Amino acid sequence: MLLPALELTKVSKDFGRIIALRNIDLTIQSGEFVSILGRNGAGKTTLLNIISGVSKPSSGLVELYGGDPADTENKSKLAVISHEVFLYNNLTATENLEYYASIYGVKDAEQRIKDVLQSVELMHRRFDLVGTFSRGMTQRLTIARALLHEPSLLLLDEPFTGLDQLAIGILISLLRKQKELGRTILLTTHDLHTAKELSQRYLILEKHRILHDGLMADTNPDEIRQKYFSSDRSGE
Amino acid sequence: MRAALSILKKDLRMEFRSKDSILSMWIFSLLIFVIFNFTFEVSRLVMLEIAPGLLWVAFIFSGMFGLNHAFAVEKENGNLRSMALMPVDGGQVYLGKFMSVTLIMLLFESLIFPIFIIFYDLQLSFQMFLLIPVILAGTIGFTSLGTILSAVAVHTRDQQILLSLLLWPLVSPIIIWSVNLTGMVIGGDITQGFYPLLTRVIAFDVIFFAVSFMLFEFILED
Ligand SMILES: Nc1ncnc2c1ncn2[C@@H]1O[C@H](COP(=O)(O)OP(=O)(O)O)[C@@H](O)[C@H]1O
Ligand SMILES: [Mg+2]
Repeated sequence: MLLPALELTKVSKDFGRIIALRNIDLTIQSGEFVSILGRNGAGKTTLLNIISGVSKPSSGLVELYGGDPADTENKSKLAVISHEVFLYNNLTATENLEYYASIYGVKDAEQRIKDVLQSVELMHRRFDLVGTFSRGMTQRLTIARALLHEPSLLLLDEPFTGLDQLAIGILISLLRKQKELGRTILLTTHDLHTAKELSQRYLILEKHRILHDGLMADTNPDEIRQKYFSSDRSGE
Repeated sequence: MRAALSILKKDLRMEFRSKDSILSMWIFSLLIFVIFNFTFEVSRLVMLEIAPGLLWVAFIFSGMFGLNHAFAVEKENGNLRSMALMPVDGGQVYLGKFMSVTLIMLLFESLIFPIFIIFYDLQLSFQMFLLIPVILAGTIGFTSLGTILSAVAVHTRDQQILLSLLLWPLVSPIIIWSVNLTGMVIGGDITQGFYPLLTRVIAFDVIFFAVSFMLFEFILED
């Protein structure tokens, strides 16, 4: 039998007295595109941090491809996009990507760097320092950075927040392509329409638990909003 | 080793791009020597007693400056977290940062040292070459500890204060011994105690490095 991409068993996480996650059981198969929805403070970011291994669960078990998230082999399959762009302002776009390519052991790096730069429409600025980039350009570059090593598991934490229209369009089309390539994708977002457009499955996180786990096809965004976020004004 | 070298290359690239930091450090050291040279009217003999301490004050300031700079860039865009995500052992990350911080501090020192020689009108004797292992050993002791403690400090808010609080008690024996060793060389007074003391500094270097190399993995985690 094929191993699931991701399996969480009774995962809990607390920060001192603050509970972030309670007894999460979750299995995600390779190639699934899952949207994680929930109010601010519901535990979405914590969940992604635990999956990526940067944060250890207080109890419970996390397995990526049947192993520990901290295993080097698993880490090389993973990419994260969040509000932290993971780029050096004092390096050019190309130099940043060269650095990541060498760390991740990307083959044929020069060509690959060109490809990802083209895919985020930054070829013309490749020799400029990231510090001189606009916010939107920096965010496009971080998408390129994340896709550079062709990760099989993508974790995206509110990737659309603060993006300009161009960057949103680019990210959506790149995510579609990643989905076609069979990559496993987890996305937290407040944008229910985009979530519906992209993902097959959705989870609703509420009060540190998975309140609902369902298929996007069976529902529509307005229904979700009504049912779960009707009193949530930050969920726009 | 590949990852450590990638980190080193990236750091050196950034450091040489912002040459102003190197220049301002150099001017700062110059200032230390000028102030001490012209404010205190002391005999040459007394001056030679103080000189090794001043030299290390300048070295340590440049080292602190370099450490803060090296870890500020890791903090700016969440890059330290990115390092935790990389398919690379924590030890490799440590080694990369250690090498870059050490090389940059040695570069600072090689710029500071000539001014020192001129200000204190020191004779360049063959024995002066003994300063090379002394400075190397003292510097490596400082950077091996400084690298891991900077990473710890980056996780906290008042990073610079915390860094000094953690760093000084641990690193001060090494600095004191390095000052003593430097004094022996400059004073032309290589006593029997010189080599055992130098060996002791090197032994501390090895311990600090090895422990930090092994512990760095845990620093990168939350
Ligand atoms: N490092 C931390 N220290 C203390 N509390 C935290 C930390 N990270 C998250 N929390 C708390 O855990 C809960 C879940 O946070 P988070 O996962 O960021 O939610 P979301 O991403 O869904 O908005 C919140 O109550 C938050 O305040
Ligand atoms: Mg969040």
